[in-house]
Amino acid sequence: MSIVLDEVSKRFGNHLVVDRFALEVFDGELLVLLGASGSGKSTILRMIAGLTYPDEGRIVIHGTDMTYAPVQQRGIGFVFQNYSIFSHMTVAQNIEFGLKIRGVARPSRIRRVEELLELTGLAGLGNRMPRQLSGGQQQRVALARALAHEPKVLLLDEPFGALDVKIRGHLRRTLREVQKRLNVTTILVTHDQEEAFELGDRIGVLERGRLQGIGHPEDLYRCPRSDYVATFLGGGNLLSGPATSGLFGAILPVPEEYRSAEGQRVQLFFRPEHLCLDKERPHNGRPVLGRGEIIEQVFAGSIRRVRVRVPRLPGCRQVAPQPKFGQEDWILEGELPSDLPLESQQYWVSLSQWSFLAPPRPHLLVFDNAASDGNEHLKMAGWLGAKIDGSLTVLRNRKEHESDQKVRREVQERLAEVDLDGAVSVLLPQGRSGNVLVREQAANTYNLLLLSKPKPEVRFSHLGITKTLTNILEKAEVPLLIMSGKFRPIRRILVCTAGGEPGKHDIRLAAWVARRIGAAVTLLHVFAPQTDNTVGRRHVANASSTLASLDIQVESKLLESPNTVDAILGEASDGDFDLLIMGGHGPYSSSFFRPEDVTLQVLKRVNRPVLVVPQEEV
Amino acid sequence: MRIADRELGRPHFSGRGFKLPVVIVLTYTALLVVAPLLAISWGAFSSGVSATLREITSPDALHALKLTLLLAISASGLNAVLGLVTAWVLVRHRFRGRALLNALVDLPFAISPVIAGLMLILLFGREGWLRFLPDALGIQIVFALPGMLLATVFVSLPFVVREVMPVLSHLGTEQEEAAHTLGATGWQTFRKVTLPAIRWGLLYGISLTFARALGEFGAVLVVSGGVSGMTETATLFIFRSMDDRNYAAAYSMALVLAVVSFGTLILIELLKKRTGQRR
Repeated sequence: MSIVLDEVSKRFGNHLVVDRFALEVFDGELLVLLGASGSGKSTILRMIAGLTYPDEGRIVIHGTDMTYAPVQQRGIGFVFQNYSIFSHMTVAQNIEFGLKIRGVARPSRIRRVEELLELTGLAGLGNRMPRQLSGGQQQRVALARALAHEPKVLLLDEPFGALDVKIRGHLRRTLREVQKRLNVTTILVTHDQEEAFELGDRIGVLERGRLQGIGHPEDLYRCPRSDYVATFLGGGNLLSGPATSGLFGAILPVPEEYRSAEGQRVQLFFRPEHLCLDKERPHNGRPVLGRGEIIEQVFAGSIRRVRVRVPRLPGCRQVAPQPKFGQEDWILEGELPSDLPLESQQYWVSLSQWSFLAPPRPHLLVFDNAASDGNEHLKMAGWLGAKIDGSLTVLRNRKEHESDQKVRREVQERLAEVDLDGAVSVLLPQGRSGNVLVREQAANTYNLLLLSKPKPEVRFSHLGITKTLTNILEKAEVPLLIMSGKFRPIRRILVCTAGGEPGKHDIRLAAWVARRIGAAVTLLHVFAPQTDNTVGRRHVANASSTLASLDIQVESKLLESPNTVDAILGEASDGDFDLLIMGGHGPYSSSFFRPEDVTLQVLKRVNRPVLVVPQEEV
Repeated sequence: MRIADRELGRPHFSGRGFKLPVVIVLTYTALLVVAPLLAISWGAFSSGVSATLREITSPDALHALKLTLLLAISASGLNAVLGLVTAWVLVRHRFRGRALLNALVDLPFAISPVIAGLMLILLFGREGWLRFLPDALGIQIVFALPGMLLATVFVSLPFVVREVMPVLSHLGTEQEEAAHTLGATGWQTFRKVTLPAIRWGLLYGISLTFARALGEFGAVLVVSGGVSGMTETATLFIFRSMDDRNYAAAYSMALVLAVVSFGTLILIELLKKRTGQRR
């Protein structure tokens, strides 16, 4: 084993960039780390190189613990995205830099430089200055320079990112040849999946600092284990539905492992090239999704990309490609050989290959602090967790003088009161309540935060809610369920699309919650008298068809009122709703949370649970 | 064609727009720069070449010239090192008070050199706050060479900092990181990668420092006391000669200074071209 990363984590400020990342790289292999920008892939590479150090975990290179060893001692070669050629040195001087530092004698230096120039296709260019070279040639110099001191490990950070497509192809072949010839263990980081397929002996797919899947390119493509790997690598169609009945149970054999419980959901994934179109209903045993209509076709050389509208099957929904707002039918992506003529618009849609993925389990973070009002929020957490089959984490901040054990016992007792002491993980970090919560939600992937509205006596005088809550509202990047009043099961949800911007996120979240707990939804849009509310009407119409397409019972209501807050609160108590969903303002826009903000006003006066949906970063 | 030329930023010759500004610039350059230079040369040689040579080789004049060159060269050397370190700290480090330090660097440009000299006297003079320092070291600062050097260093402090900072931040840290991955230590990296990459900017800053130090008058006048043959620099020599109505000596010295400054200026222009190419 050449390189071993053992549960490595790295934070920048509050953000967990690399999250308990584990990886083993074999001798002489070329491993590609593939991820979108911000997935932490470059940080991992820089930690292996020693250009930055991990906060936790271990890095072992060739059997030696190198976690905190200085970069000079690691014996690695590194190629940067922007070449980083020494601009005041000739090509040859650049390449021999590492040898000179190591005190290698001049004759053998010259010999080695000649070898490397030959190997990287730069023969005869040794005396050029870097500025006389093209980008591709400069990157070849960088590669030769990184290899000159015969490193045991070669690390490349998006090495071809700044080059144009044709030169990229040439350089990939050069890299592949050189790497195989020298048999040097190599890690290459990229966001380009074509590059990953072409170069990688193995590919590791990263998302938010975590390894989502690793394996041989073909295995990863054919049998992805997670929906992220499936859609990021190659793309395709992802449908979600119940495992035991409806579509998947009836027309596709769902493997036993996905049918553990009644109502268990499963995700069906298939590549565009496995979507088949026939004029007559096929009788060859292929599962048929229905009769579809081609709504778009693009000629792309050897293949033709099509988008097919297929009527939605009850109980199932489309996950990827992400449905447009207001879209009721499924729109699936397909690829056909381009020499196959398309004769009509209507075809029977069936599948030649498919795979099943377990749906991701939702993760709830419950905040429990001394100021929490009773344990209604814990009851809600227990009920919600059971309903949506989610995993629960309870967070309680701990003051400096409090011992971990004592607080843990307290929390366990409280959990036992609401029959929640089973499979719940408990986190007890030190610090102030708001900061602790904000840090934890940024550091991990949660689907929902749950906390109780703080007690009246700690009210922040002019806002009617505490400063801590305002702080959390401003900084939370995850939907926030604020519990007030007595707990009762959620059966009726009021979605207030007047709070803040009419958001699509609150509709999507309402759908997510309602579908999982089987609640009915009422859409409420409040507009001021004598104003044009065409936009509002259209939004509500789109929202109801989106919800209806997910088999959610939905009605909509448009109210004319000069006071939005009064109208919302009045409607909530008239209809005796169990949950209000409102738009918040998401991270990094604290200036929006002024006292006159509708969401804040409602929160101040309400005595029912409110779910605040952060707006996505712009 | 014309559109293309404009896009490339080439001069375009059309109508009166071409001539008028050029004429204005040429006129005031002639009046303000060339005419004084000619006047100085004429003044220097008006009483004959031999008189000029005699004046310039007098012991006082030679001493003043030597002192000026000594001051200018030492100030350039000191500011090269201090300026480089300051620029490095300002570009590469983020710390409390960085903005303040960044502003303070320009202070010598903002306040009059006379005031700078006065400050040194207040610090190191007979009643000064830091008078124990020269006493402890057994040297004299005010009315002596160390004080004059301090004054010169102070007034020419910003040049190296301001010239090196943009070059250093343009360079970034990637080349240095590359050197580290190739096994170079911090010092090796600085010597073999960073310094060569910023050398033209650094040299340009040093030349500006030198030119400024050469012509410094106010701060040095206040600090030195201007004792001829002792603490009298070239500019002070000119000032005293004018006072003594010894115009031949004043003009001769002025011409020498002008020639050295002009030489430095040409050097600066050459360096500027090199730095321009490098970027």
